[in-house]
Amino acid sequence: MKLDRTQQEMLDGKHGEVRRFALEKLVDFGNAVGAEEMVPLSFVLNVCPIEMKDRSHPDLSTFDMGHSPLYDKFIEIKDARVADESKTICLNDPYLVQIDKYEEPGYPWNFSWGDGSYKLPKDIYDGYVRGHDALKKHGWVMSQSCNSHLTTRTPRYGEYCASSESSVAAYLNTFVGARSNRESTVNTVYAGYTGYLPKYGMLLDENRRAKVIVELTDEVKEKMTDPADWAALGAVIAEKGGNRIPAVVNMPELLSPTAGKCLSGCVSAGMNDPMLHIIGSGLPESRTLEAAFGGKVPKDVERQIVTLDDVRDYYRKLDSAKSDKVDIVVFGCPHLTYDEVRQIARLVEGRKVSPNVHMWVQTDTPSYQMAQHNGEAKIIEDAGGKIYHSTCMGMNPVRTWSHDLNIATNSFKYVKLGGGFGQGWHFGAVPDLIDAAVTGRFVSTRW
Amino acid sequence: MEQVKVMKGIARAKGRASGEALVSEMRFGWGYNTVANESGIIGAYENPLNGQCVKGRIVVYPTVSGTTLGSVGLYYKCQVSKVGPTGIICRNVHDIDIAGAIAGEIPAVDCLDGDPLQEIRTGDLVEIRADEVGKEATVTITRKAANPL
Repeated sequence: MKLDRTQQEMLDGKHGEVRRFALEKLVDFGNAVGAEEMVPLSFVLNVCPIEMKDRSHPDLSTFDMGHSPLYDKFIEIKDARVADESKTICLNDPYLVQIDKYEEPGYPWNFSWGDGSYKLPKDIYDGYVRGHDALKKHGWVMSQSCNSHLTTRTPRYGEYCASSESSVAAYLNTFVGARSNRESTVNTVYAGYTGYLPKYGMLLDENRRAKVIVELTDEVKEKMTDPADWAALGAVIAEKGGNRIPAVVNMPELLSPTAGKCLSGCVSAGMNDPMLHIIGSGLPESRTLEAAFGGKVPKDVERQIVTLDDVRDYYRKLDSAKSDKVDIVVFGCPHLTYDEVRQIARLVEGRKVSPNVHMWVQTDTPSYQMAQHNGEAKIIEDAGGKIYHSTCMGMNPVRTWSHDLNIATNSFKYVKLGGGFGQGWHFGAVPDLIDAAVTGRFVSTRW
Repeated sequence: MEQVKVMKGIARAKGRASGEALVSEMRFGWGYNTVANESGIIGAYENPLNGQCVKGRIVVYPTVSGTTLGSVGLYYKCQVSKVGPTGIICRNVHDIDIAGAIAGEIPAVDCLDGDPLQEIRTGDLVEIRADEVGKEATVTITRKAANPL
């Protein structure tokens, strides 16, 4: 792999041990995937570690996503620092708990059901806080958000990024035209401390081309309104695309950030290459079918049609619980936009969540603060719900919770992340989920 | 009598390994939420292999599915909790799994001269020799006579 002068100096140790070590790892990986050069990054997104001296702690394997030991080297070295002086902003995904509310009950890190309960163990919490503080000292921006690209820094068209949050990678590729793989969480650690990544995968023009056309009927184009609609549509597009980058035809001209987020949230769960070409969008590489296919559209290209029945069927497929009972209603995977928080507040205002139901409203820190400032947080809490920020529902160890629980959500991503451990799942539109939180029963009225 | 078949492929992460095959028809991921980091037991959305353990196995699957945390999940299970597979074979090893296999220090092989999902069955003894990344790797499949190759 060809290195420029700065990169070579880094590899030779002239920029310190941290950068030498991290760049060496990236060179190894780059060689394995056949990369020819390194590119500078404007945006790195990874996951905060649990910092524990003793890794034999019995609870650690349950809570560590597996990434924490990779940070040991960086935490050991004095004065380790991410490459933010080179304008690489280094951000964090959400994780296990809102740090200032660890002891408060009724949140996903500390709650009870029937005759059972769950609380994030104190040792793990302490290790998480240590990891959080260490990364903060290193210059990571502790945004702890699924939406850092919307609320903290939006990369520009053509910039290179390394996001281990798949939905962010998909959003950047699809709606911004910045370039990101669904980057492995091994590489994002090293990318943060160097500001570089081998140019491979979605960073290369030839890997960004559409391979299949997915066309929406006019009925689909007109009727997608609820966040769950966009999530289900994303899932259908991913499925019809058969794990290939789709050129999506007949999408509405204007898509809100909420629609874009829900749509791109399908990618982690449904696709390997995090990109949709929304034909007709302002992005040069997606403006026309020809652009999306990198020149001529192949004559024999596969064309799939998405009908409203496909979307309806996906609602039903994701709604698999054996009874209509609901124990948990959860919103916010990926994190709710402020607009979604407002929608929930409007629907729940003046009502009361059933005492048998936990209603969890999970958002990013800026949206949470706006909701505090503007009153939506109070409305949700007065109704008996919980609103919180900087946490990841998907990283909670749902497998340790009772299998008798039924969980209702509008997130395709969360069903795919948590749906393999025995609980029952309901998938529905926001108004139906609010009704479920109030009555303790889920009834789908969306279609 | 045992039957043996040798296949050629490309090494994506280097190493030598052997183990009993575990074959997933579905795309597969190594994240904590599909294969538990503490036990190596599979619990993935709609996967028929749920309940099986990956420890010491050569896991064969089409390509990756799901979270980017699969990379660190594979690393962690191989190197920290010691419940990981000894090697992986795919139609195409995705970059997420290449990173995980390198960090986990297990071999990863793809582009075999035959479809690994057709050629390898759960329970076969599989041996991988993948000495240099990007170069030829060999996969030796040994099957008991009751299920001939």
